[in-house]
Amino acid sequence: MTTTAAPVALTPRRGLAAARARHTAGRVLAALVRSVAIIVPVFLVATFVTFALRALSGLSPARIQLGEEATPEAIARVEAQWGLDRPFLVQYGDWLDGILHGQLGTSWANGADISTLIGLGLGVSLSVATLALLIGVVVGFMLGTVAALRSTTWIDRAITGFVTVISVMPAFVVGIVLVVVFAVGLHWFPSGGYVPAEQGVGPWLAHITLPAVALSFDVIADVARQLRAGLVAAYRENYVTGAVVRGLSPRRIFFGHVLRNGLGPTLATLGLKFPALVGASVVTEWIFGLQGFGRFANDAAQAGDVPAVQGVLVVSIVLVVSFNLIVNLVLARVTPAAQRGV
Amino acid sequence: MVRRVLALTSGRIAAAVLTVIALLALFGPWLAPLDPLATGDNTLAAASGTHWLGTDYLGRDVLSRLLDGSRVSVLGSLEVALTALVAGALPGILSVHWGRVFEWTTLRLADTLVALPFLLFAVAVVALLGNGLTQAMLVTGVLVSPLFYRVARAATLAVARSQYVEAAVVSGASTGWIVRRHVWGKILPPIAVALAQTIGVGFVIVSSLTFLGIGVQPPAPTWGGLLASDLGYLSHRPWAPVAPALLITATVWASNLLADAIRDVSGEAGRVLLDDRGARDGRPDRTDPAPAPAPAGGAR
Repeated sequence: MTTTAAPVALTPRRGLAAARARHTAGRVLAALVRSVAIIVPVFLVATFVTFALRALSGLSPARIQLGEEATPEAIARVEAQWGLDRPFLVQYGDWLDGILHGQLGTSWANGADISTLIGLGLGVSLSVATLALLIGVVVGFMLGTVAALRSTTWIDRAITGFVTVISVMPAFVVGIVLVVVFAVGLHWFPSGGYVPAEQGVGPWLAHITLPAVALSFDVIADVARQLRAGLVAAYRENYVTGAVVRGLSPRRIFFGHVLRNGLGPTLATLGLKFPALVGASVVTEWIFGLQGFGRFANDAAQAGDVPAVQGVLVVSIVLVVSFNLIVNLVLARVTPAAQRGV
Repeated sequence: MVRRVLALTSGRIAAAVLTVIALLALFGPWLAPLDPLATGDNTLAAASGTHWLGTDYLGRDVLSRLLDGSRVSVLGSLEVALTALVAGALPGILSVHWGRVFEWTTLRLADTLVALPFLLFAVAVVALLGNGLTQAMLVTGVLVSPLFYRVARAATLAVARSQYVEAAVVSGASTGWIVRRHVWGKILPPIAVALAQTIGVGFVIVSSLTFLGIGVQPPAPTWGGLLASDLGYLSHRPWAPVAPALLITATVWASNLLADAIRDVSGEAGRVLLDDRGARDGRPDRTDPAPAPAPAGGAR
């Protein structure tokens, strides 16, 4: 925002700009401290719930390894091997210690290292989720801005209607429609599978475009709606009237005054969208045959592989929490009002 | 409130669509023209007189399966919404009254639940805790309950700190009277909005879970399951997913529409919006200065 003041930056303004930069840095730091204070308990509670799942499920590695007709002694032996005969809290402590060191344990089903397995899938899922976020933010931003600038005209109504329609289409419905039209019908894109980016950016993009578009509809709708509402509200503020009276150009009013103040709710929504994207990947990866994070979660859950499921949940919690942290920091940097109440 | 919601066109449309879906859920299994589980030789058939929506890969009648499967989806989403209502709204209201410890704990819990990707968690929990849609929906209900918690808490806070409640307390009104006279009217509309939204969300989750084959035994038909089985035969019957996809989308849309309609007719913001709409309709163009100040002042 110091850049918007730059054209009129006469000598006495320098000190002001520096003070403003210091102020901004302090704000971001305060937001960081506050966010961490919230995140630590959230993380502890979430991991505890995740770990308690095993005790609640009553599943045991013995059933997977030995089958249904194992003797009680054999079951006890296998459970002791996995350290499941120890007290619950000791197990939780060990497990949490492992997580903090990046070790998610080994799979009950095949003894493989879960961190490695998840790492393999995460590359696929994050490619898709990032592209989906990118599409969602860019398209949603354009739609929301145009709707706000042309509010109460037919353009606004058309955009609002379109946004309403796409917001109620679940990701897997969109995914199937996309497969039918663009893969089966037009043959523009492959209907499934994944090619790593190292083997060529073109094929990589072709394989992740359809799933990303399927996931992005929800983001587009939310960003467009929130941005439109925020911008329309910001245009009604007195400082905009003041800026118009001072004779500032519409472009400067939009970028300097309206956008900065109308952006807050949109960014806050983005923070909440990320869990939805991670969750929806379970379904879209199934549709598009991607061996990603969500597919791994589904397969592990259906196989009753508890440590793998726990690992998936922990990774998703970490992803979501860190994404929220970033959004909070951006929010603190962009809009001062975000300081009041997180 | 019901009357005012139905006075809006969007409210009427939403109510009509939801009524049709509810009737499908109630009577669908009896309306099904053929046995939804009966297989036949006529596999992957196109729409015809006997099979209005064609048949699937085992020759089962799609229309019958669609009608038969409606009950699972609708019951599931209602279950999600009601669980979330109980698990979220009660602590939300009580958090204002039961002291700081309870308030702090429930706030942190709500933060935690929001952080969990609920579809992923629902998949995990259902798969681990037993393959029943009821458990799945209970868990999902708890996971989406922070919405109710926040809404109920915000409304209760607004009421508890208002001067008219203080005045009622000072003038010696009983708690029950205050709740009936002042609190319900403020808290119910936002909760009704959240409930309508959650039914939509629950519907998506039920469909997603059944799409993945979680929570139902294979031959039993569900809308999500129909989509999943269509997916394998897209090159033969590209139009097959249209009917279940349309039904799911229409239901979610109607729930959202209902939520918007309730929001429009209730509360301060709602009344302003209605006035705003009236003003906009009556206004010849945007340059007319007379009605402009009203929405500008009330929109906040």
